[in-house]
Amino acid sequence: MKIKNKVFITATSSISCAGNDDSTLFTNICNGNSGIQQDKNYFFESQPAIGKLCTNSKFYDVLISQCQNILEQSRLDNFKDTILIIGSSVGGMQSTEDIFFETQSYKNIDPDFHHINAIANILNEKFDFYDDISFSTACTSSANAIGYAYEVLSKGIYKKALVVGADSLSKITVGGFLSLGVLSSEPCKPFDISREGMNVAEAIACLLLENTPSNDAVEVCGVGYSSDAYHMTHPHQEGKGAIAAMSQALSSASIEARQIDYINAHGTGTIANDNSEANAIATLFQDKPYVSSSKSITGHTLGAAGALEAIISCMVIKEQKCPQNTFLDTPENVNLNLPLTSKEVGINYVLSNSFAFGGNNCSLVFGRCK
Amino acid sequence: MTINLEILDSAYVYAPKEIEELNTKELVPKMVVRRRLTRAAKIAIYLADKVSFTNGRIIYGSSFGELSATANILNSIYSKEPISPTHFQNSVYNTAVSYLSMLSGNTNEIMTISSGDYTSLNILKSGAIKSLDGDTILLIATETLNINKIEEVNKCIDFLECGVALKVRMTKEEATICFDAKNDEIKTPESLSHMLNIARNTHTNKPNIIKVTL
Repeated sequence: MKIKNKVFITATSSISCAGNDDSTLFTNICNGNSGIQQDKNYFFESQPAIGKLCTNSKFYDVLISQCQNILEQSRLDNFKDTILIIGSSVGGMQSTEDIFFETQSYKNIDPDFHHINAIANILNEKFDFYDDISFSTACTSSANAIGYAYEVLSKGIYKKALVVGADSLSKITVGGFLSLGVLSSEPCKPFDISREGMNVAEAIACLLLENTPSNDAVEVCGVGYSSDAYHMTHPHQEGKGAIAAMSQALSSASIEARQIDYINAHGTGTIANDNSEANAIATLFQDKPYVSSSKSITGHTLGAAGALEAIISCMVIKEQKCPQNTFLDTPENVNLNLPLTSKEVGINYVLSNSFAFGGNNCSLVFGRCK
Repeated sequence: MTINLEILDSAYVYAPKEIEELNTKELVPKMVVRRRLTRAAKIAIYLADKVSFTNGRIIYGSSFGELSATANILNSIYSKEPISPTHFQNSVYNTAVSYLSMLSGNTNEIMTISSGDYTSLNILKSGAIKSLDGDTILLIATETLNINKIEEVNKCIDFLECGVALKVRMTKEEATICFDAKNDEIKTPESLSHMLNIARNTHTNKPNIIKVTL
């Protein structure tokens, strides 16, 4: 396939525990204001630190308002020539849980609002899209959705794509990660030698991708996908899968590793992920670009993480500011350039990593519009 | 826009409750691995073997994902029993195809789609788009709905376990077979209907080419 149109992110909107808009999110990341708090509402016997949305509105109402924000920011009147691309790891699980725990039965569960496609079903009721597709690859879901949007726009298949990364917290996700013993009782400390685990969180992050740039657009330059083929929950220790995804992303963007100025790491704060990712970055990036994880501020927003961190990457490029590693004290891997304070620096290219259960890896390269 | 795909090989299985002959013992000799596999993983491994696909990009899909693992976790939480870590790690939608990648050492791009009733149609669409890169791609879809009390929500599906695989590549040749999800009389999940319809209508000894409209 020879066609390779340019692809730009022309509008973004997000809500997470770290802020109800993109600007607040980025300010909090750069200033180290974490939205993570201990919570005992899910399981009384333990109090993991998690990241919940700060809103009284229902999740699906927030979802619709986030997409409405995109419409208002963009030059569009509607989404009639836009493909909706969802990335979610749990879909409608929260409402399924509510019904099941109240009635002890599956009877009142509407299958159309249980599965991953529940997100698309809600949005299709409100907006008119050209088509839709939903990806569910656990914590890479919305990174893969952005990758797909990049592919279909660069190949000239569709005109516009709205990517929505959305995951709400539920007892299954909080309890599930508790069962794996990877949840921290305090805001996580990615890449720190004394890190004790991750913080699960919820978020909605929306990005509009088009072939024509807007005034403050950021270019999507490339995507890389790989599979570890190693273990369901543990990444390869040397980060072989991560190296493959990052290398392919660089190749897709037609740039060298030395051209990356900043890496938004997957950086969950778990022993296994951070060790593997740090090894992979140190192996591939000899010129030591800045590396930080925003999950100490946002938590790990699971299927929404790739989209949320794509928005953070866009803010890094727009603001020309590299965010700090909040709560990092003693880096485990001394070969990484992990800033302890946020820095205003020249940034042309950002790489964002997302890794998931099943060894699913996706790396995205974003660039400053020239 | 349309893209034509040649179906290089295809396979499908379905059963009212549980598919019996998935050849799992032979395909997954290590018991320690075999006993962790979900039903969907066993079906995916069986189908990949049937179409002789070991390496390359895979697009997998399921509307309801790993329903058994999810139901087990829900019931554990309700009963205030510990959640099994294995059930949790097996509850993500990309579980089946992840086990398949591990067993075959396949480090390529492996995607999972979940688009409700249009899951297999969207697998075909994304498969067609990705096939423009020129490689041979495996498309797989499964549903594994055989859980306790499924009758509380299932009113229309007679075959609770189903799977279908198509090995495809892009072609410029004319389409030779039409596919229509509504033609099938057997009550398999809607989410698999487009791909099942194709698999059931392929011919031996002549090219099987479909036109995918985007």
